Amino acid sequence: MSTQSSNPIRVALDAVRTRVGRAVAPVWRSVIDAVRPLRQRQIRRTRAVAERVPFSVGVPYLFLSPFFILFSAFLAFPILYTVFLSFHRYQGVGSATLLWIDLGPVQFELTRIAQLEFVGLQNYQRLLGDALFQNALANTTFILLVQVPLMIVLGLALALALNASWMRFKGLFRTTIALPVAANLVAYTTVFLLLLQDNGLVNSVFGMVGLPAVPWLTGGTELLPGPLKSILGPGFWPRISLVGAVTWRWTGYNMIILLAGLQSVPKQLYEAAEIDGANRWEKFRYVTLPQLRPVLLFVVVTSTIGTFRLFSEPLIISEGGATLSATRTLVVYIYNIAFQQFQLGYASAMTVVLVGIVAVLSIVQLRVGGESDA
Amino acid sequence: MRNLTRDEAVWRFVGYSFVLLVTLLMIVPIYWIVVASTLPEQVFLSGGSDLQLLPGTNFLANLDALQAREGVDFIGSIWNSVFIAVVYTLLSLVLCSMGGFAFAKYDFRFKEPIFYSILATLTLPIQLLVIPLFLLISQMGLTNSYWAIILPWAANPLGIFLMRQNMKQIPDALLESARIDGATEFQLYYRIALPTMKSSLAALAIVLFLFQWNLFLFPLVVLEQGKYTIPVAINELVGAQRVYYDQIMVAAALSIIPLFLVFLFLQRHFVSGILAGSVKE
Repeated sequence: MSTQSSNPIRVALDAVRTRVGRAVAPVWRSVIDAVRPLRQRQIRRTRAVAERVPFSVGVPYLFLSPFFILFSAFLAFPILYTVFLSFHRYQGVGSATLLWIDLGPVQFELTRIAQLEFVGLQNYQRLLGDALFQNALANTTFILLVQVPLMIVLGLALALALNASWMRFKGLFRTTIALPVAANLVAYTTVFLLLLQDNGLVNSVFGMVGLPAVPWLTGGTELLPGPLKSILGPGFWPRISLVGAVTWRWTGYNMIILLAGLQSVPKQLYEAAEIDGANRWEKFRYVTLPQLRPVLLFVVVTSTIGTFRLFSEPLIISEGGATLSATRTLVVYIYNIAFQQFQLGYASAMTVVLVGIVAVLSIVQLRVGGESDA
Repeated sequence: MRNLTRDEAVWRFVGYSFVLLVTLLMIVPIYWIVVASTLPEQVFLSGGSDLQLLPGTNFLANLDALQAREGVDFIGSIWNSVFIAVVYTLLSLVLCSMGGFAFAKYDFRFKEPIFYSILATLTLPIQLLVIPLFLLISQMGLTNSYWAIILPWAANPLGIFLMRQNMKQIPDALLESARIDGATEFQLYYRIALPTMKSSLAALAIVLFLFQWNLFLFPLVVLEQGKYTIPVAINELVGAQRVYYDQIMVAAALSIIPLFLVFLFLQRHFVSGILAGSVKE
């Protein structure tokens, strides 16, 4: 950052730094000269090693460094910085200089990334009393409890059917059901917006078969059965719409993974079970399920993580007219706080909590699913 | 052919009905993109009575209307998306395959700690690091540039992990004999390792391309008009004062249908890309 500053103190400081930099440059150069023989000795030693190890020691580091530099800058640093930010209040983009080096022609300045005020655990305390955060958490939990089981049962049933020996046109069915995997997330959500309009295709078809028009996007309790009205609430239909769209997009994805899992179950196990007189259900319960457990576990864990990451679908659906309080997910709320209200510290605290929840859920699922066979 | 028992016949009937029903449900939204993008809006949003179920001839008119929109250059956003996704995929393939080669075929100091710290980030939802990334990208002066969304995820942990797993299978003797013949280390990577990795690279390329193609949150934050990718451009259309579904469906058709065709042709690689992440040793 070498923006021209009009602040006289800044100008003066810059001038001093430039002088210091120029003064330091020759010293720096002489240090490099002094080190050169040492480095040559190092190179000679490297050559000696090279006779045993048939490559220079630096080679693997050279191969790895492009990845590692970007990994450190854009992945490792942001992870740590998110945690750091969560204890601060964000006050604007940083401009203060942390480090400034002048090597003659090459100048290097590292500026502070943001202006921050340390607030301790305040962001986390605020989280406890934030009704919108709790709303987002409730919506995400609803999707988790409805969408993940629905999608996995569907995916497993499809995989079982397509794995059956008598099923014809397997390739055709598999391809068609997996097609949504290639659909752009934002683009496919707009199609669901259109299908689920009050006078959209779904309600038109409902009308033809004598069903009432459902307020898919705007919600309401009129169509819900009496006792469930207060439990499900007016946000039920928009949430179901979101669940339906996500299920359409990801069922085929999970089906492919489960199908591969089913195909790797050894045939002899089924033959042995048949000899023992096992029926269809017993073969499923005592051969398929235990054999499929690791794959099933993988699908459950990734779907759970996917639910907590939901952003494109809920944002587009709410922009297209769905009730925000019904479709606001955690990431939508984080986006809202971070980039529409610019409370980056608070949003970071939410990110930390979100990642924490995901980690705990994954560990629990792995523990439960990884139990030894009963 | 032997006679089916009643039980088996029922199972087959249930199985076929179920699969056919799901297949139909999967096709309806795709078919509806085709129908809605080729009709004027008032026809397909007219409500129950005179429902039009067949495609019309209004596609080009809808496309013209979409192109005439102020503030959203949709065709330009297709170009932006394709350019970004292709550059990202190539860059990430180079980084991941070189890094994977180092991990698979060399011994060096700090190899294990570096590898496991990269592996640990696999468990994190890395799309969620947008807040520090936003500050970082702003400080680097990269906002509203293609690099803003190419660089941050180019070092893909899943990619380097898969490359390392696959490159472990390259026999050491092959590399050794090439060394004796005077090949440089880079030639070992470029002339021997890469060509044997073709199908893994293709599967990884599809994973990376789709990852970038679907990125929405970060592009939404850092890109401005003129640099919009497809998701950001569609978001502008949906968030506008007046929403024109015929234009939006043209946009959806142009961004979804070509990828479906690619899927049909490269299905094998798509499937191995999906499975690549799930098969852990």
